[in-house]
Amino acid sequence: MTLPPVLRAAAGPLRIMMQDRLAVIGMCVLGVIIAMALFAPLLSTHDPRHINEIEDGSVLQRGAEGWELQESLGPLALNDADHRGDVAIIVGRGGMGWAREGAGDWAPLDLPTEADLHAVALSPAGRALAVGEDGVILLRTGADWAQIDAPEPARLRGAVWLDDASALIVGTREEIWLLEVDSGAITAIDSPVGRGFPLQSVALDVDGTALIVGERGLAVRYDPEGGSATLERLGSSRDLNHIHIDEGGAALVVGERGTLLRREGADTGWSVDQAPDTRALRAGWIGDDGRAIAAGRNGLIMEWDGAAWQIIPTESERHLRALLVVGDEMLALGSDRFVSRLLPPSREHWFGTDHLGRDLFSQNVHGSQIALLVGFLGATLVVLIGTNVGLIAGYYRGRTETVLMRTVDVMYGIPFEPFALILVLLFQPSLTIVILAVSLLTWRTVARLIRSQVLSLRERPFVKAARVAGASDLRIMYLHIFPNVLPLVFLELAIIVGVSIIAEATLSFLGLGPPQAISWGGILHDARLSGAWRTAWWWNLPPGILIMTTVLSVFFISRSLEVVANPRLRARQ
Amino acid sequence: MTRRSYLIKRVLQAIFSLWIIATILFFLFRMGLPDPTAALVTEGLNAEQRAAIRAQFGLEEPLWRQYVLFLGNAVQGEFGTSFSYRAPVSEIVWERLANTMVLMLAAIVLAYAIGVPLGAWLSWRRGSRTDTVGIFFGLMFRSAPMFWTGMIAILIFGVGLSILPTSGMRTLPYDADGWWDKILTLDFLWHAALPVLIVALYYLGSPLLIMRNTMLEVYGEDFIEMARAKGLPERDILYKHAARNALLPVVTQLAVTIGLAAGGQVVVEVVFSWPGLGREILNAVRTSDFPLAQASFLIMAAFVIFLNLLVDILYTTLDPRVSFR
Repeated sequence: MTLPPVLRAAAGPLRIMMQDRLAVIGMCVLGVIIAMALFAPLLSTHDPRHINEIEDGSVLQRGAEGWELQESLGPLALNDADHRGDVAIIVGRGGMGWAREGAGDWAPLDLPTEADLHAVALSPAGRALAVGEDGVILLRTGADWAQIDAPEPARLRGAVWLDDASALIVGTREEIWLLEVDSGAITAIDSPVGRGFPLQSVALDVDGTALIVGERGLAVRYDPEGGSATLERLGSSRDLNHIHIDEGGAALVVGERGTLLRREGADTGWSVDQAPDTRALRAGWIGDDGRAIAAGRNGLIMEWDGAAWQIIPTESERHLRALLVVGDEMLALGSDRFVSRLLPPSREHWFGTDHLGRDLFSQNVHGSQIALLVGFLGATLVVLIGTNVGLIAGYYRGRTETVLMRTVDVMYGIPFEPFALILVLLFQPSLTIVILAVSLLTWRTVARLIRSQVLSLRERPFVKAARVAGASDLRIMYLHIFPNVLPLVFLELAIIVGVSIIAEATLSFLGLGPPQAISWGGILHDARLSGAWRTAWWWNLPPGILIMTTVLSVFFISRSLEVVANPRLRARQ
Repeated sequence: MTRRSYLIKRVLQAIFSLWIIATILFFLFRMGLPDPTAALVTEGLNAEQRAAIRAQFGLEEPLWRQYVLFLGNAVQGEFGTSFSYRAPVSEIVWERLANTMVLMLAAIVLAYAIGVPLGAWLSWRRGSRTDTVGIFFGLMFRSAPMFWTGMIAILIFGVGLSILPTSGMRTLPYDADGWWDKILTLDFLWHAALPVLIVALYYLGSPLLIMRNTMLEVYGEDFIEMARAKGLPERDILYKHAARNALLPVVTQLAVTIGLAAGGQVVVEVVFSWPGLGREILNAVRTSDFPLAQASFLIMAAFVIFLNLLVDILYTTLDPRVSFR
C-alpha cells in the first residue's frame, strides 16, 4: 500500500504515540470531550439557561424549629384539605385525592375525574364534597364517589356543608350554588353584586350562615333561612383568596399582597392585620385557642404570636395552597410549579440543579465548548506567534534576535494572571479579550524553545546546502528548518492547550470570563458566589473533574509527543 | 566577559525591562480608563474634589507630561492615594506583597522538598506500577485548577472535618506588632496549611517529572556503571551519585518558578481569602481603584524582575559551567 508522502511522514510519529498507553487514553478522552462540545445541544437534556420548575404534592409539617418538608404526596399540586373527626381528605390537581383515617398514612383516592379539584369539605355525618374545574362536583356517601352534574362547566373554587343535606359551592364567575344532596338538585343563588366577580372560598359561620370571599375584597353572606345572599364589608379591597372560620367564631381571611383580615370571635368586628411580608397568601387557618397561620407562595408561612404576625422559617420554597390542622399536627400543602433550586442529582437532572433551578448536566456539557474553543484557539495563536518569533530570531541572529529576545525577556517580567485580570477588566470581558489575555504572554516560552532549536539547526549541513543552492531565507526557514521543529511545535501546542483551558477557567471563576457564555469556570463562579457550594457537592465536583480530565488528557498526549520530539527519550523505553 | 560586566549588563537589562513594562502599563491604563476618576462619582465626590484628584495625577496635562510624571513618581515610590482605602498605596502594597511571597515560597519549597526525592525514587522504580501512579498523580494535580482543588480542600478539611481554618492569615481579632510578629506564630502556620498545601500540590508535578526524566538519562552514564561495578549499594548509587548529577535541570526549573512567584496565584488568594497582592489587584480593578491597581501591578512586575535577576546571578555562582553570556 502506498501512502501519500505527508501521511507516510505522519505515520511514524503516530506509531510511537500509539505505543504509549497513557497517550492512547488521553486521545480517547479528548475525543469524547471534543464530541461533547460538538454535539452539546443534542447531548444536553435541558436548555442550560432554562429555569426549571416542577410540580409536586408537597407536604410541610410544623416542627419545633419551623416547617419541615415531608414526603411528597404524588407529583401533582395539592389544593385544599379538610378534616372532621378522624377523617382527613386532601384534593389536588388532575383529580388527585388523598385520604387518611386517624394517625394512618395517606392513601390515594380513586376519584372519577381528571379535572383539577380546588376545594373539599366534609359534613358532620362524614359525607365528602369535592369541587373543581369544568363544573366537577364529586360527592362521597359511604365509600363511593359519584359525580353530580353541574348546570354549567363553571370553575368551582370553594365548597362548604351547611348541614348534612345541603352544601354551598362557589365559582369564579360569581356562581353561588346550593346543592341539595338527597335530590341532587342544584339551585343558583343570586349574588348581590352580579357582575361576575370571581369568588374564591366559602366557610360556615357560627350562626349557620355561610361567608363567601372573592376578588376585590368582595364578601357575601348567604343565609339559608331566608335563602338570600347579602353583601358584607370586611375592610379590604384586595383580592381575597381564602377564608377559615373556627367553631368558636374566630375567623381569618387571607388574600393577595399579604392581606390578613382577622376576627377574634363571633361578636367582634374584623380587623386588618399588618403582614410582615407582602407576597400573596393562599391559605389561612385560625383556632379559638388563639393560634393562627397563613401560608402563601414561595414557602411563605406566617404565624400569629398573640400580638403580631411572624414569618416562620420553612424548609422549602414551594407554593403553599392549603393548611390542615388536626389537633397539634399542622400541615401546609402545595405546590404548583416552583423553581427546582439546588436539587441533588436525580433521574430528571443527572447532575442536579443550581440556585436558579438550571440543569447542571446541560451546563457542564455546554461548558466544554468555551473550554475547547479558548483552549485550541488560544494555543494556536500562541504557537503561531511563538514559532515565528523563535524561527526569525534563531535564523537571522544579530540585531533582529536581540530585539526579539529582549522582548521575550521583558515579557518574562510580567506576571501572567494579574496581567490577564487587568486586561480583561480594562477592556470589558469578551471572548476575544479572554483569548488575547490567555495568549498574549504565553508565547514567550514557545519563542525561547523554538529559537534554541533553530540555533542548532541553522548550522546543519542541509541548511548550508540549501543556502549554497540559492534558496531564499524564507524558503530555508519555512521549508527546511520548520519541518524539523514541527514535533516540538506540536508538543508545545498540546501543553499550551492545557494551560489555556486552565487560564480560561480561572478567568471565568473570577467572574471575568466571556459574558453570557456557559463555562466550567463560570459554573464554579456561580457556585462560590451563591454560597451554596459548601453543601451542594453536585455543583462543585463535575466542572472541576471535567477541567482536570480535559487538561490531563492533553498532558498525556503531550508526553508521547515529547518522545516524538526527543529521540533520546525513545531509546530508553 | 568578566563577572562584573556581566552583572552590570544584567542589572541594566532588568531596569530596561521594568521601564518597558511601566510604559505598557501606563498606556494600557490610559486606553482602558480615559478618566479614572469617573469611578469616584459613585463615592459622592463632587466635581471640585474630582478636579483636585485629576490634578494630583496630572490628568489635565498632555499625555507625554502625564507619562513623565508617572515615571517620576514611580521611581520615587510615590503612587498616590488609594481610592478605596484612602491611604497611601505604597503602604498597602508592600505588606500584601510580603503576604503573597510567604505563601508562594513556602509552597515552592514544600513542592521541591517532596518532588525531588519522589522523582528520584520513581525513576528507580521505572516502568513499575508505582512509577505510572506517581506520574499520573503528578500530572493530575498539575491539571486540576487550583481554585477547584482549593474549594474541595475547604469542603473536606474546613467544612467536613473542621480541623483547619479556611480563610485569612490569622484568627480574628488579633494584635500583631508588625508583619513578622504576625507571621511567627502557630496560628499563622495553622491558617497557612491549606493554601500552602494546595499551591504545593500544583507545583509538585514539575520537579517530580523533571527529576525522574533526568535521572533516567543519568542512569545511562558511565560513572553509574562504574559505581555499580564497585559494588556500591543501589541506594547509595541512587541518592549519592545519580541524584546529585540530575539536580541541575530541577534547579533551573526552581529558578524559573521562584522568579515568577511574586505573580502569586490569584485564585488561591481569592479562595482562601489570603490578603495577597494578586487578590488586591483583583479588588482594585473591580472597584476601579486605579492608583492601587496600577501600583500593585508595577511593584509585582518589579519584584518578578528582581527575583529573576537574583536567581540568574545565584545560578551562575552555583554552576560555573554557565558562562557569563
